[in-house]
This record gives sequence, C-alpha cells and structure tokens, in this order.
Amino acid sequence: MLKIYFGDMEEAVYHPPVYFDNQYEDAWIVDPLSVEMIRDVDKSEVKGPHLIESPVLGPISTKELSGGVKTLILMAFDDEGRIFNASACGDNCAKWILKIAEKKDLTINLRHRMDFGKDGFQIKILNTGEVVCNRSDMIRVAARYV
Amino acid sequence: MKGRHNIIVRNKKLHYEFEIKRNITVIQGDSATGKTTLIDMLRQYENYGTDSGVSVECDVPCAVLEGREWKIQLENRKGCILFTDEGNAFVKTEEFAKAVRGSDNYFVLITRENLYNLPYSVEEIYGIRSSGKYQNTQRVYQQMYHIYSGKQDSLMRPQEVIVEDSNSGYEFFKSVCLENGIPCQSAGGKTKIFSKLLNSGDQEICVIADGAALGAEMKALYDWTQEHENVVLYLPESFEWLLLKADIISEGDIHNILEKPEEYIQSQLYFSWEQFFTKLLVDKTQDTYLKYQKKKLNKVYLHEKNKKAILKEIKGLRLE
Repeated sequence: MLKIYFGDMEEAVYHPPVYFDNQYEDAWIVDPLSVEMIRDVDKSEVKGPHLIESPVLGPISTKELSGGVKTLILMAFDDEGRIFNASACGDNCAKWILKIAEKKDLTINLRHRMDFGKDGFQIKILNTGEVVCNRSDMIRVAARYV
Repeated sequence: MKGRHNIIVRNKKLHYEFEIKRNITVIQGDSATGKTTLIDMLRQYENYGTDSGVSVECDVPCAVLEGREWKIQLENRKGCILFTDEGNAFVKTEEFAKAVRGSDNYFVLITRENLYNLPYSVEEIYGIRSSGKYQNTQRVYQQMYHIYSGKQDSLMRPQEVIVEDSNSGYEFFKSVCLENGIPCQSAGGKTKIFSKLLNSGDQEICVIADGAALGAEMKALYDWTQEHENVVLYLPESFEWLLLKADIISEGDIHNILEKPEEYIQSQLYFSWEQFFTKLLVDKTQDTYLKYQKKKLNKVYLHEKNKKAILKEIKGLRLE
C-alpha cells in the first residue's frame, strides 16, 4: 500500500536525485521495471547499466536521467528503508508510484499535491491516518499540509 | 530591476526561449521536461562562458543560485536573473523571502512546492514543453507555458461570492452583491479561501482574489475548480488594478502603465505588483474626490457611473 506523509519530514531524503547519483546500483537500471519507467517518463531507452539513449540529448549516462525517474527507481529498489521526497517527481510519475506500491509497502513524503488520478487508488495519509480513494478527497486532505 | 527580459539559452541540441517580467517566476510541471538541463546549461555558461559551448542571450546577466552559500552568492549579485533548481530547500524559508524582498534581482525558482513566504503571481507559474525542432535545425525548441490562467472564459452569474480581502475590495463587491441579492462573504485573507470553499455548498460560487500574489494558494484552488464545476476563480491583478483599469481616474499615463507594468515596477521597491498598483492608485487619487484608501472604501466608487465602469472591466463575471 502507498502511504504519504504531507509536509516537512526531517527523516526524508529531500532531494533524491543527488542521493541516487551516489547510491544507485547497475542492476537497478536494467531491471524491466526501470526500463519501462525510463521509457515512459524520460522517453529514453536503456542500452545498458551505464548508457541511456535519449531522443533529445542522444547517448546519456545514468546520472543524466530525470530527477523524477531517479526518485522512482529509488522508491522501487532502495532497500535501506529510506523515505524519499516525491515532490522531485512530476504528475507523470504518479502512476508508477502507485504501481511500485502494489508490490511493496511504500512510504513517501510529499511537499506538494501530486495528481494520482480521479479515483481507483487507495492511499493512506500518515498525517491523519485516513485512507483516501479519489482526487477530491486528496485535494481536501493535502490542502491542510502543503 | 524592472522590465521584461527575453532569454535564449542554447547548445547544439536544445534551444530554450522565454521572457521573464516579474521579480518572482516559478517553473514546475512534469518530470523530464528539461528543467534541470536548463539549470545545468546556465551553470556551465556561468563557469566557462562561451568555451562551454552554451550560448546565453539576455540583456542582463543570468546566473544560478544554489547550495548552502546562497546568501553569499546573492550578496554579490545585482541586476541579474537568478535561477534556482529543485532541491534547494532555502527557497521556502523566511530568510530567503527577506532576501527577495528589496532585491534588485529577478528570481526564477524551479519547485513544485507552494512558497507561502513569497507573493508570486498566478500568471508567473510556468511549465516547460518541447515545441518541436527549432527553425529546421536539429535543436529541440523548449518553451514555457502558463500552468494557470487568471482569466475566466465563460460568463457566470454566481449565486455566492467569496472575496479574498476584508477591506475596500470586499466593501465594493459586498455592496454590488447586496443590490443584486447575491450573498457575499470575505475569506479574511488568501490563506483562508480554500477552507471557505470546503464549507460551501453546490451553488454557483465565484472566488475573487488578487492574482498578483496568489501563486502559493493557486494549486489547491485551481484543483478544486477542476473537481467542482460550480466554482470559478476571478483573479484580477488586484482590486486596485481593477479600479485603475476602469478608466475612472483621468490621468494620462495610467493606461500606459497598465499596458506594460513591468516597465515601471522596480523589484527592490515592490515585493509584488499588487503593492505597486495600490501605491499608484493612492498617489493618483490623493487630494481628489476619488481619494483611495485600502482600509475603507471611498463611497464615490459605488456611485452608479463609477460602479458600472468597474464592473465593465470584470470579464467573464456578471454580478448585476
């Protein structure tokens, strides 16, 4: 299940892209989930653990992936129990956060309201303990904290 | 600093082109749209000049403000456009807001967080998108687009009005609404508008607020209107801007100022444009029968002719 803590959270990694650059593992990049996320969000193809083909920039290194995709990969593969600030992700990452949370208990920090879609999700808000299932309720809850 | 500044940042593969015209601009939006790449290019140009292979064209210097030494960096900057990427938590602090207030620089802040300490305009919140190849070259053309627009497209006659402020603006709209049988309440400040909406019913509601400084509150309000079709936002720059626009005051240069406010608004003097419009209105009406005070509405603005002139300027909203 996806759990969100809205607002300032001291223990969360505030800027995950930098953490990613220094902590990522090669195996994460070539995992089918990362390949799909990179294709969808960055519109780029994984050629290997150290090489990505971007339609705009040409061949780029893993460290030149977008901040959003780096944060998604950390959410999926980091096993040190870190909580990441998902405000490094745009709304085009939301569906992937929900997908990652289908496979594991995922807690994220949000400093803005991300759009998870109109409905069809279940997200536990750690600030209040309530579970929200649609956009309207999410706006209502998030506005109290961010 | 004042004025509108066109910026072109490019290398062999990318061509960014946009205009900055207020002291605070916010860039947000989807991941992988090139926000961080823009900052990287500006940083490379700043460090290596034309040797970087990056070209930056602007009539004022552009630089990156970042890291723990941001205050020292800022002390040494005047007349610049300063860009800050995501991950710089200082942009949310009161200390940064104090530094922006009175600064001779413009700030372009890349962040999805609402910056409640800064009075930024709903008109200056942008995303970046690609618009294809640039003039038959291999460069991808990157442009900014408005995430929100303060303009109300369809004509609405509300059944209830919520006004942001509790001073002259509220007095004006309350009086007009009363004459027309429309309930009108003050939110008591921009931070309280959303909670007023939460407690409202299904009737047609119009929120009237100063767009010039509503940036931090805009996401929640805008999202709410997307989910609730009965709610619309009317966001002029400010109530004072509306009075100036209504052509009641016979001062020749007002029209020119309102055409291009950025040519007159010094960032070091005005934290937001609404402060400028208030001062302009107060100055232009001093010692006249139209004397304006923010705290209490001069009843002359409610005289039939003046009232009609003001209401005529409100596009998309019918209160009479």
